[in-house]
Amino acid sequence: MPQASRDIQRRIKSVKSTKKITKAMELVSAAKMRKAVSKVLASRAYSDLVWDTVLHLVKKVEANKHPFFMSPKKVSKVVVVLISTNRGLCGSFNTQLVNKVLESIRIHHPETTSTDIITCGTKGRDEIRRYKVNLIADFRKEDITNDSEDIRPIAHMITKDFLAKRYDKVFLAYTDFMSSLKQAPHVKQLLPIVPEIDARLGHITHEKGQGEKINVESFSEFIFEPGRHDVLDAFLPRLLEVQIYQSVLESEASEHSARMFAMRNATDAASDMIDELTLAYNQARQAGITGEIAEIAAGSAALE
Amino acid sequence: MKDLKLKIVTPEKILFERRILQVSVSTVLGEITILPNHIPLVSQLIPGEIVVKTDQGEEDLMAVSGGFVEILPDQVVILADTAERAEEIDEERAEAARLRAEEVLKTKVADAEGFAMFTAKIEKELARLKVARKYKKKGLRTGQNN
Repeated sequence: MPQASRDIQRRIKSVKSTKKITKAMELVSAAKMRKAVSKVLASRAYSDLVWDTVLHLVKKVEANKHPFFMSPKKVSKVVVVLISTNRGLCGSFNTQLVNKVLESIRIHHPETTSTDIITCGTKGRDEIRRYKVNLIADFRKEDITNDSEDIRPIAHMITKDFLAKRYDKVFLAYTDFMSSLKQAPHVKQLLPIVPEIDARLGHITHEKGQGEKINVESFSEFIFEPGRHDVLDAFLPRLLEVQIYQSVLESEASEHSARMFAMRNATDAASDMIDELTLAYNQARQAGITGEIAEIAAGSAALE
Repeated sequence: MKDLKLKIVTPEKILFERRILQVSVSTVLGEITILPNHIPLVSQLIPGEIVVKTDQGEEDLMAVSGGFVEILPDQVVILADTAERAEEIDEERAEAARLRAEEVLKTKVADAEGFAMFTAKIEKELARLKVARKYKKKGLRTGQNN
């Protein structure tokens, strides 16, 4: 076999084995995605109801007096919690998220003198480090978050810092899972709580969850046990936890879908490449055969 | 007969969603039973049981490890940290978990936070055990009747 076609064959072989790997990764991601999606959908009901309850509560309590709702006159220091992934090979997932964060820092807080970043997930951490930001903490992200206990340290830290007035605003950057085909990086304000803005997580429930609205203001009485402030004090930290937990789940579902599609694209590209290389190989082989025949014919003509 | 809608949700799933006649929960100020047309109320739950009387007249038993209850005119929402149906609780495992938590508490109490966590865990397991035993007893009784 001539050198050219042997080289091509070697390349076909290597592309084929790459294709096998990407195919396997696609299947694994698909299985993980199914699990993550069922989780994110299941917990959306809870986080929606928690948010509804908060909306009901703030109408009945002068919530503005609660430290979680108080927004400072001048915003001078903010912190962004960046929820990313531990593993790569998921397309532009983390790049998009980081770009979104940088963009929102640029656009929305020109007056901000400093922005600190808390990361959760190693890829986002490595990515954002390149931009000379002030990284103050890095939390380990579980590959599969099982319950809200896992994110409690983050919630604890930002609550403490916010109440100590070390930060004027706390933002949460995550990737919203809209469908397995579409995920959108999103930056949302976590603290102070803005009860007017529909800060629900998850766009799917956005659209259908508007059905039942209860007009709380019509109630003449609303009892809080043991007391208004005790309920708020217990409820609001829970709300934060739920929101962070939900956004971690959203990010996980998005990550696995993004990886699945990245791997599917890679598999398709490998197939195309194999086709092209096979064509080139056949051409080279044919050229070789033609050349040999011409040589034989020339040889026998010389003998006559 | 008048009824109301009950929703029990945990971060993991919607445990219960249907129309009921009454529901009893344990709040920080004691056990309350909610009937239709209850005044709007928000309260904190302690580990304990939830007893539901459905519109079919049957009783449902659940264990809850804490959370919140929100009562609106026509519906009750229970936001539980964790909740289980009585028939799903494995009594032996609940007992073992409680013993384990007590053991840890006895041997090493690291800090106030850890202490609170384990105390809460014991309380939670006790609530589960209570619900599981109650369910078993009820099950036996109906068994004899049949």
